[in-house]
Amino acid sequence: MATSVWNTGQDDPGQQQTADGFMVLVENSFAMMARPQRWDSPFGPDMTDFDVEMLMGLPVIAAMSPERFPKHTPLTGILKNDTRLLDFKAGEIVVREGDYGNSAFLILDGNLRVVLAPNLPRDMIGRQQAKKKNFFQAAAQLWTNTWIPEVRDKTRYADQASHAHGKGAETHVFLQDIPAVLDQYRTAQLTVDALFGELAALGRVPRTASVFAETDVKLLEIRWQGLREIRKYDDSFRAAIDQRYRNNALDNALRESELFGNLEEEELQRVAESVLFETYGSFDWNISYKKLRSSGKAGAQHEPAITRQGDYPDGLLMIRAGFARVSVKLGTGERTLSYLGAGDHYGFSGLYYAWRDGETRALSASLTALGYVDVLRVPAHILETYLFPKIETLPPLLSDLATGRRLSEDSAMEWAVEERFINGTKSMLIDIDRCVRCDDCVRACAATHGGNPRFTRHGKTFDHWMLANACMHCTDPLCMIGCPTGAIHRSEMGGMVVINDDTCIGCATCANSCPYNNIRMVEIRDMDGTALIDPDSQRPIVKATKCDLCASNPGGPACIRACAHDALQRVDFEGGSIFESFRR
Amino acid sequence: MKLATARRIVYLILAAALFMVAALQVQIGSRTLHDPAILTGYYLFGLMVLLGLFNLRKKLAMIPLGSAAAWLRVHVVGGLLALALFWLHMGRLWPDGFYEQLLALTFYLVSFSGVAGYVLQRAYPSRLTQSGIEIIYERIPAELAAIREEAEALVIKCAEETDSDTIARHYLETFHWFFSRPRHFWSHALCNRKGAHWVRHEVDHLRRYLNEAEQTYLDRLAELAVTKNRIDFHYSAQSIMKRWLLFHLPVAVTALALSIWHFMLVHVYAL
Repeated sequence: MATSVWNTGQDDPGQQQTADGFMVLVENSFAMMARPQRWDSPFGPDMTDFDVEMLMGLPVIAAMSPERFPKHTPLTGILKNDTRLLDFKAGEIVVREGDYGNSAFLILDGNLRVVLAPNLPRDMIGRQQAKKKNFFQAAAQLWTNTWIPEVRDKTRYADQASHAHGKGAETHVFLQDIPAVLDQYRTAQLTVDALFGELAALGRVPRTASVFAETDVKLLEIRWQGLREIRKYDDSFRAAIDQRYRNNALDNALRESELFGNLEEEELQRVAESVLFETYGSFDWNISYKKLRSSGKAGAQHEPAITRQGDYPDGLLMIRAGFARVSVKLGTGERTLSYLGAGDHYGFSGLYYAWRDGETRALSASLTALGYVDVLRVPAHILETYLFPKIETLPPLLSDLATGRRLSEDSAMEWAVEERFINGTKSMLIDIDRCVRCDDCVRACAATHGGNPRFTRHGKTFDHWMLANACMHCTDPLCMIGCPTGAIHRSEMGGMVVINDDTCIGCATCANSCPYNNIRMVEIRDMDGTALIDPDSQRPIVKATKCDLCASNPGGPACIRACAHDALQRVDFEGGSIFESFRR
Repeated sequence: MKLATARRIVYLILAAALFMVAALQVQIGSRTLHDPAILTGYYLFGLMVLLGLFNLRKKLAMIPLGSAAAWLRVHVVGGLLALALFWLHMGRLWPDGFYEQLLALTFYLVSFSGVAGYVLQRAYPSRLTQSGIEIIYERIPAELAAIREEAEALVIKCAEETDSDTIARHYLETFHWFFSRPRHFWSHALCNRKGAHWVRHEVDHLRRYLNEAEQTYLDRLAELAVTKNRIDFHYSAQSIMKRWLLFHLPVAVTALALSIWHFMLVHVYAL
C-alpha cells in the first residue's frame, strides 16, 4: 500500500495522522507525488530572472548558442539553477590548492591571482601542519587527557594565521598580507571573463593551485552539473575546455601510461589530439549509491554502463579518475572480474587481437561506473596507426581473468566492490576469527585522541573479516567535496585525509558525504568541561572528527599497536592484492 | 609456516634455552655449596616483574613501546618459563609453610588462569564469527530490549488480529522468561546448542495448536528467538573473555606482592 504525505490538518477518514502531525493519505493502489526534478534545489536560491538576463549578456555566455540546448535543459535554466553569484573581498581565498572542488568560476568583475609557485604555505590557506609529538609529549597524554571527552582550548580558534568568517557555504578564508604574497610567490593575474576551476570540477581531481581575490571580485560559480550540460550542448565551450585539458594535463597523463610511454613526441601529440573525454555516473555518487542500496538494488546491472559485454569496441578506455567494474554475465547477474582505478585501461587486448587477426571482436566483459568515472577514449584507428605495430608482448585477454577461478575465490572482491570499499587506502580490516573483542584498539585510540575514540569497532563483515567504521583515507575522498573552509584535506606527509579542527565550522558536509559513515560530529567543551554553545542559534558547537592515523603521535596508528592478537591491520585496496590475504 | 607461528617457536626455543641455563647454574651452584634457590629466586622475580609490565604497556597505548602482539607473545612464553622456574626454584610441586603455600597457590592460580585465558581467547573468536552476527558487548542490553519489545508487540498484535491467545499464553509461560535477559549462559560458554534446541522445541511444540495466520506470527517470533539466542552466545563468550582478566589480574598482583614480601624476608633472615 502506497502513501503520500502533506500537512493539511484536515480530518478525513481517508487520512491517518503520523506522530509528527502530518496527514498521510492512504490509497489502495498508488499515490500521487510529483517526480523530483533536477532543479528542485537550485545551486543559488537567490538567483533571479534579472540575474540570468544580466548573465546572458556576458561575452562568454553570449557566444554560446542557446538554441542548441534542449527544451528541458535550456541555457537560461542552467544559469538560474546551476550557478550562483558570489562576492569576495580582496585577499579572500577562492580556491585552495589540493581541494576537491565541484564547481568552476567565471570572473564577472575584479581581478584574482592564481599562485603558480611555490604553493602557499598550508597554514596560510587554512590547513594544519601535523606536528608529531615527541616521546615525552606522547606520554604526557596519560595525565593531560581529561575525563571529559572532546575538550578544546577555545582560545586557539581565534589565533590563526588565516581567519574564517560567515556561515556554512559562505565561509571564506583570507590572506592577511597580499603585497607580501605577491612579492614572495610567482602568481598570474586572472581578469574579467576568465574561467577557472573547471578541470578539477569535471575531472574530480584536486585543485592544482590556489586562487585569491586581488581586488573585490564578483564571480559566477557554476556547479559541475551545469558545467557538464554546457559542455554537452555547446560545441565551442566544450572545445575550449577540452583544449585546456589537452594543453595542461593530457600529455602527462599519456606519457605516464604504460601503453603510450614509449611513443615519440610527435606520435604522442597525435594521440593526444584524438582523445575523447567522457564522464559516467554521478559526481556526488554517495547519494545515488545510498539510494541504490536502500532500494535493495545491487550489482553491475544497476550501474551506469561505460560499455557492455557484446558491444563492438571503438577505442581504448583509460580511467582518469574514479573506479569502474569489469564484469561478465553470469546467470541473471554479473560476475565481477576486476575493478579499475585511475591509470588503468580497458579494451586494449581485445582491440589488439582484432587488429592482429583482421577480424571484428565483440567485448568479452562489461565496464560500469562505480560512482563517478572520468574516462579518456583513444580511438581504435589511432591505436592501430601508432601503437599496435610496436607491440612486442601479447597482452592478456580480460576474459582470461575468469578462467580457472572458482566463484568463491572472487567473493571477497565482489563484496568489496559492492560496498565500494575499493576506495580505501588505509581501511581498518579486522580478522574477527582472531579478535577477542577486548576493545584495546578503541581504548588506545581514545588515549591518543583526548579521551574519545575516532572509530567504532563495528562494520560490514565478510567471512571472518570486518571492515570497521574507521576513516579509510579514500582514493576518491567524497568527504572533501564541498568543505567550505578546506578544513578536511590531504596531509602533505603521507596523503592521509585529516581535519583541521581549528578551521572546521561543524557544518557536517563531510559527515553527510562520507558513504561509509566514518565521520562523526561531536559536541565540544572548553577546558573546564563546559559545553560550548553558539550564542546566535543556542545550539552546541560541533566539530567533525575521524581517524587521522595518529598523525600527531609517534609510532603510527595506536590501534594496530594495541592489538595483542594481530587481528587488526590497515589495508589498501588499490590493485587488488589485498584479496590474497582474504583467502587465508 | 605463518610468521606468527614461527615467532612463537623462536620464543619457545629461547625460553627453553634460558631455562636450561638456569638449570645448569642450579646444578653448578649445588656443587659449590651456594644455595641455588637464591639465583632462581632472582630470575623468577625479575621475570614476574617483566610479565607484569604487559599490563602497564596496555595503559600506555599512546607511547610507541612495541606492538602489544609482541608483548603478548613474550608474556605467554615468559609465563611458561616462569612456571618452569618456579618448580626449579622450589625443587618440588608444593612447598612447606603457610606463607609459601599461599604464595604457591596464588602463583598457580595466575599461571592456570593465564593458560585458560589464552585457550579461551583462541577458541571463542572463530565461534563468535560462525554465529552469523556481530555485536558490540556494551550494546547487547539495548539489542535484547529491542528484540523483547518487538516480540511482545508481535504477540499482542497476533492476539488482536487473530482473536486467539494461544501464542500470548505460551509467551507468558515460556518465551517471556527467555526474552527477559540473557539465558543459557554456561551452555553457551561450553559451546553446546542447548539454547538453540530450547527455542526449536518451544516453537515446534506450539505450532500444532495454531492456525495459518498465527503460524506466520510464530515464524517471526521464532526468528527473533533465534537472533536472541545468538546474542546470548555473544554475551556469554564475550563476558568470559572480558571477565577472566578480572580474575587473572588481581591474582597476579597478589602473587607479585607476596613474592616481594618473600624476597624481603629471604634477604633479611636467610642471607
